[in-house]
Amino acid sequence: MKVLKETPFNKWHHDLHARMGDFAGWELPMWYTSILEEHRTVRNAAGMFDVSDMGRVWVTGNKAGAFLSGVLTKNAEQLRVGSAQLSLTCLEDGGILDDLLIYRLDIDEYLIVWNAGNAEQKLNWLAHWLEPNMEVAIEDKTHDTTMLAIQGPDVCQMETLKELRRLPRFGVTKTRIQGLSAYVARTGYTGEDGFEIIADVPTGLSLWQLFIENGVMPCGLGARDILRLEAGMFLYGQDIDTSTNPFEAGLGWLVDLEHDDFVGKSALLEIRHNGISRKLVGFQMKGRGIARSGYPIISSGQEVGRVTSGGYSPTLNANIGLGYVPIDISSIGTNFEIVVRDRPVLAEVVGKRFYKKGG
Amino acid sequence: MDITKYKFTREHEWICLESNNVGKVGLTYYAQSHLGDIVFLDLPEPGGKVEQFGKLGEVESVKAVSDVLSPASGVIMESNQAAIDEPGLVNKDPYGDGWLVKLKLDNLAELDALMNKSDYDEFMRQCEESSEQE
Repeated sequence: MKVLKETPFNKWHHDLHARMGDFAGWELPMWYTSILEEHRTVRNAAGMFDVSDMGRVWVTGNKAGAFLSGVLTKNAEQLRVGSAQLSLTCLEDGGILDDLLIYRLDIDEYLIVWNAGNAEQKLNWLAHWLEPNMEVAIEDKTHDTTMLAIQGPDVCQMETLKELRRLPRFGVTKTRIQGLSAYVARTGYTGEDGFEIIADVPTGLSLWQLFIENGVMPCGLGARDILRLEAGMFLYGQDIDTSTNPFEAGLGWLVDLEHDDFVGKSALLEIRHNGISRKLVGFQMKGRGIARSGYPIISSGQEVGRVTSGGYSPTLNANIGLGYVPIDISSIGTNFEIVVRDRPVLAEVVGKRFYKKGG
Repeated sequence: MDITKYKFTREHEWICLESNNVGKVGLTYYAQSHLGDIVFLDLPEPGGKVEQFGKLGEVESVKAVSDVLSPASGVIMESNQAAIDEPGLVNKDPYGDGWLVKLKLDNLAELDALMNKSDYDEFMRQCEESSEQE
């Protein structure tokens, strides 16, 4: 029997009668009341996600920035204290090992927040690149801390968080919320404004209660998956993985080939030089049918790719998805077909950001 | 809607006779609550033939696709356009407005293989227990 890992909020999810599921080896709520209702809450009000499954790794020491620059696709040394940025860590062949957020908490203190999957392998991989004389400490605090994402247009209207309205997008600060000490970042995975909050376990539990009292609705991973897809954000393991490179995924903007040597740089230089043969595109279904991860994409009767993410978008009231297709059918307006359980259904390439806040 | 007249399958579909040999088919409350929000229905065109416990159509929730099996053999008379246009009707009113198809039955005796309301309630209770033990 597979034993799933539990976050400190696990009992509360059960108390709320959440439908629980396995996400990257963690037992997490798929939904509490209704995926559509929770989705609507985040788009129109304020929702809260337990994202304590995400890996939280502190990297400290006066060479921490230099070390991280050697394993990430962006220059970590240039990141300002109090800021976060999206970054990638790639294998030597340029395949994406993970996408992550890197926070510079202090001059010599960085925090990496990455996906829950393959946590141990990624930690080992990180440590593998550490040279003994570097005096850099890598500390995984995933199990000693909690992480909550509160997202939606009403989050910043909350009286409790009014001090945090000044925090810029991708800013991070150590602060107190009603006396509760936490790291707060203006980041998220929903396409809405909001915060991601990291705290020790007792504090995290208190914060959850505080936000509930302020009318923030607990939301599950089902809603989160639609929200991120609508916002054109990728899910590691589906849209990107070690068999995909940043350029074909449209993540070339996260690769800084100017900075000093980093793992995968020479392979990525070569990929950029040679050009890519396929591209991750967004599509909208023109015929009746919902595309789902793994469904074949066909063009002129031939299978040319696979859907990586797909589903119903309540915001657009349309069926949307992402998938890799050859370059020649990747431009916006191009049609192809998706095989929905033996039945080819017409789809059209559209921009990957299906939903953009404020239009 | 008198639910005691409904008959149920082990796959959580129901059928209710409207006249001598025409029945309405739908999903049970249990089925829709386990699927979650339903966002897509794929139902057969009128004139199509189905076999008892054969595939009738598909219902998709936000997260998953499920086959709908036919409680009886027969010919499709009508599919519920209102539910096709607004699949959430199946969640809101699974025994009423959220019906799926009207079926002209080949053989009324097939209904004897289905559960009545009290049998189904007992079956559902067992389903709940086994899902809690998972």
